Amino acid sequence: MTPWVYIPQLLATGITMGAIYALVALGFVTIVRASQILNFAQGEFVMLGGVLTFFFITGAGFSYPVAALVAVISVVIIGFLLHLLVVYPLRKASALIVLMATLGASIVLSNTSALLFGTLPKTLPSFSGEQPLEIGGVLIAPQSLWVLGATFFLLLVLHLLARRTLLGKAMEASSTDPLGADLAGISRNLMVFFAFGVSAGMGSIAGVLVTPLFYTSYSAGTLLGLKGFIAAVLGGWGKNSGAILGGFALGIVESLSVAFIPAGYKDGVAFVILLLILYFRPKGILGSPFIDSRRW
Amino acid sequence: MVKGHQSEFRKRDLLYTGGLWLISLILPDPHLPYRKELIKKRDFLYLGALLLLPLIFPNPHFYYVMVLAGIYAVLSVGLSLFLGYAGQISLGHAAFFGIGAYTTAILTTQYGVTSVGAFGMAAAAATAAAYLIGKPILKLKGYFLALATLGFGEIFLVMVREARGLTGGVSGIFGVPWFSAAGFTFDTSLKQYYLVWGVLIGLVLFAKNLVRSKMGRALLAVAASEDAAASVGINVARVKLGVFVISAAFAGLAGSLFAGVMSTASPDAFGLGLSVLIVMMVIIGGMGTLYGPIFAAIFLTWLMDVLGGYQEYSLPLFGVVFILLLIFFPDGVGTRLNARLIYLISYWGRKRRRERVDR
Repeated sequence: MTPWVYIPQLLATGITMGAIYALVALGFVTIVRASQILNFAQGEFVMLGGVLTFFFITGAGFSYPVAALVAVISVVIIGFLLHLLVVYPLRKASALIVLMATLGASIVLSNTSALLFGTLPKTLPSFSGEQPLEIGGVLIAPQSLWVLGATFFLLLVLHLLARRTLLGKAMEASSTDPLGADLAGISRNLMVFFAFGVSAGMGSIAGVLVTPLFYTSYSAGTLLGLKGFIAAVLGGWGKNSGAILGGFALGIVESLSVAFIPAGYKDGVAFVILLLILYFRPKGILGSPFIDSRRW
Repeated sequence: MVKGHQSEFRKRDLLYTGGLWLISLILPDPHLPYRKELIKKRDFLYLGALLLLPLIFPNPHFYYVMVLAGIYAVLSVGLSLFLGYAGQISLGHAAFFGIGAYTTAILTTQYGVTSVGAFGMAAAAATAAAYLIGKPILKLKGYFLALATLGFGEIFLVMVREARGLTGGVSGIFGVPWFSAAGFTFDTSLKQYYLVWGVLIGLVLFAKNLVRSKMGRALLAVAASEDAAASVGINVARVKLGVFVISAAFAGLAGSLFAGVMSTASPDAFGLGLSVLIVMMVIIGGMGTLYGPIFAAIFLTWLMDVLGGYQEYSLPLFGVVFILLLIFFPDGVGTRLNARLIYLISYWGRKRRRERVDR
């Protein structure tokens, strides 16, 4: 049997996964645009979104939507705390120190989650039934449609927030021209604070969406975070549209690779893509506002 | 060439010069303008402490932790050259460590190579890997370089796990023979302690010579500003590649020691966690110092050992300590404490003198 038969099925899986990568990548981009900080704990937000929802359903006995909402809110609070306790005290330190500090935060978050909620992988019921839909010979889990729909809804909401509200406009201004925003009286630290909240919220929603499809364990965050970063670099570092495009591209390529190489190497594919893109086109597919093309 | 003609060149000269070259890496370079204060009293103090410590604390657990600390110290001195002196970030040094360990494990168990041979081969393998990977990615800067090296580390792990025939897959290779040289086997913790720290002394001397050489000065210039360094005629790409390769060779040697001392090599030991730990050692020890990372390696290894007693609480606690150290000592514990200590000692001295004068 040729691998070509599987392609449509793998494409469907890839697009679902791509939506998740796009959300994680957007989280990275939100923070990096506000503050030039690479937040390594981004993947942990995804993990915490899934694990906390599971905990609120089984441990606290909430209904599914309430549990998901409470989980997202608590992760946003964790994002705020991460900024206040780790990033804000280090606002004058070099990029390397901040990077290592967020890595430390990622260690703390994932292992605290293992301590509080156990190390077993967790799963959630799908939002609407487990019966897969068959479209043109391709089986699609209903949850995949939920993931895609929710991702697009979230992107729309974010777009409106950035364009229509004062806070969104202030964040936008602070990321396009920090000095100008400072002069206009916008507090940069406050904007970074909100960026952490928004990014944690996006990560946790991705976690709630993905947990019914894949098992989420305490250690899943690191890899998801790294792949989200790769997606952001692939699409164009520091661009929202780039993050979305890169997420879907990475998801599809990674999923299709299963047809041609042994499945064990699947996790390596993303990193090979990272090395290739950094070598041949560091500014990504759509170009990056942060990377001067001459200097690379 | 006429048969029987006494040639100027004899084959054994190669052997002699090779040995001389190796010694010259460690010995002070007579051409450098050495001043007396370069060999300080504290060097002898450290050396004495190193030799005497096992006699003061004669228990196997102490030896074991110190052996581990010594291996981490080799790693962190190597990374200190790359991160502390040249100012480049690498989160992939665990991969070079792993390459060294696997080279040693495979060569000694499957091909029957001696430990010393495998030791050299490990450094060579790590060097070759660093050259191949460093050539393309060292043009990156800042956290892109960090992430690219991290990507290399992850690819290494995936390859090790999948190439089961060679590396034993997830479970790794067991029963690597103890490190042995010239018929002497380092089979107890005490012997391993002296082996590891002996190797470390040699490598530290090498590193000390390196940072005082033209290349060492070039490293500092590159760390300060690549453009400025290039404008005074430093080949930035070459210097960065050179120091990357050297620090990878350190990591390869450390990996070889690890395999020869712990007698196993399994992929879990060479993950992202180790890379982060080494970078932490260099940061906490102080960027641009050689002794700092060694002390940080000892400190962090002991910290992990102590925290390991708290079972599942150990990793969260470790992360918290990481962050606190970074927040309160962003330029290294040693750097800050040293300044404070020098101030205190000088204050104490001045006070004594003042009192004497008063009386």
